[in-house]
Amino acid sequence: MTRSLRSRIALGRCLIIVAALWALPGLARAAGLSLPAVVDAGQAFTIPLEGSGQATFYLLGPDHVAKRTVSLGSDLRILSKDVRTAGRYQVILCGSSSSCTSATFEVKAAQPEQLSFFLHPSRVPVSTPDSIDATAFVFDQYFNLVLTPSAVDFQVTPANGAGFSRRVSAQHGVAWMRMDSTPHEGRVQVAAVLGKVEEARVIQQVAAEACGLRMKAMPNGNTVTLETDPVRDCSGNALPDGTVVSFTKVDKKGKSTVDTPIKKGVARVQFSLHGPAQISIACGVVLGNEVALNGKL
Amino acid sequence: MKRMAEWMLAGKKIATRLVTAASLLIAACAFAAAQSSAQMQLPEVHLDAAGLAPRPIEELTGTTIARYYALAWRDMAAALESGRAGGLGDEFVGFAKDRLTRRIAEQNQAGVHVRIVDHGHHLKATFYSTDGAAMQLRDQVELEVQTFDGDKLIDTQNAPREYMVLMTPGADRWYVRDLEEVSAKSF
Repeated sequence: MTRSLRSRIALGRCLIIVAALWALPGLARAAGLSLPAVVDAGQAFTIPLEGSGQATFYLLGPDHVAKRTVSLGSDLRILSKDVRTAGRYQVILCGSSSSCTSATFEVKAAQPEQLSFFLHPSRVPVSTPDSIDATAFVFDQYFNLVLTPSAVDFQVTPANGAGFSRRVSAQHGVAWMRMDSTPHEGRVQVAAVLGKVEEARVIQQVAAEACGLRMKAMPNGNTVTLETDPVRDCSGNALPDGTVVSFTKVDKKGKSTVDTPIKKGVARVQFSLHGPAQISIACGVVLGNEVALNGKL
Repeated sequence: MKRMAEWMLAGKKIATRLVTAASLLIAACAFAAAQSSAQMQLPEVHLDAAGLAPRPIEELTGTTIARYYALAWRDMAAALESGRAGGLGDEFVGFAKDRLTRRIAEQNQAGVHVRIVDHGHHLKATFYSTDGAAMQLRDQVELEVQTFDGDKLIDTQNAPREYMVLMTPGADRWYVRDLEEVSAKSF
């Protein structure tokens, strides 16, 4: 018998065995899986299972793993709860002949329904350029980051003065903006709004550095009382009580500095004098006027 | 004299056996150490933070992020293979930790586990908040993912993947807060 004849006989036997196995009832034959390429999070769908008999079905997702026995030749229902998390899902189907087929599909975030909103800082001086940052992360109802662009409105409502709104398109689920603080002290509410969803945060605007700092001197014998005008910033906001004002006296006994807090809007201090003296005033980084005493006011 | 010679011979045999046992022990330790270092090996992570907005990244922050991201992948791969989620809290918080913990619990229920062969990550930082409280990154990675039911290999996936990552700083490290696999079309 020639070699080619032998190989033909062997091939024929193989074909007969395969045909016999195919004809056996109850033996699973899992064909290729037909899956949608992309599914919205939480959207149920069906997978048609070709073949006949039983097979083991596996679904592996970012936060979910399922394994069950399925009947081939029917539709397999993938429930909403199986695909709530965005990401890549893997489907594996193993027939009883130990052969497995697999396929993947992507679950993408559903419609935007949640905002995670950060406002920074919590306190800011008035009229400071680019001092307030607002960042909003856009999520769907299952807290998947929504990567498709969506418009987020940042609505700014100061305690005094007119409010305004700025629309920002979220890129890869993140919308952010930077803005100047407004001229008046007090609460400013910033809300991130996306459709019906609104997340609000409050920022406290405080007076900025002192502006036009001035003191007046009231000499009385060998002492002098110094008192500031009401201490305000350049927008007219009163600096809060407790803000420290420094008075510095230079006379023939040397240099002497007294730090005193603002009380009821003004700072006051008393010095003893030893001959002619120069007195200066400062608050933070701001210098005020100078006075010269002993008849040289 | 004869007894002494026997004693010396017995002593030699014991010494030879001890040396053999010690050699075997050292070899076993070396093998275990090699295995352990292979398991502990961090995947390569390259971070590109060019043009990052609204805040630029400091060099030290970049190094720290790459390191903790690599640790996160190492620990995630270990947890997915072993079915033990205990170590995830060192690198994951929030949604990422919750989802991974749930996945591992369900894997264990199904008797499935996954082995990840990590060929390295190319991270691109896309957003860094001004207050430094959050950084968003895109990861392009080459992974070989082998899925087992018990000891039986049922599937192998070998393809480039992309992930959207959200990291936030903790007291002494950066945590992965969100890790979502996305398609390249998302960008």
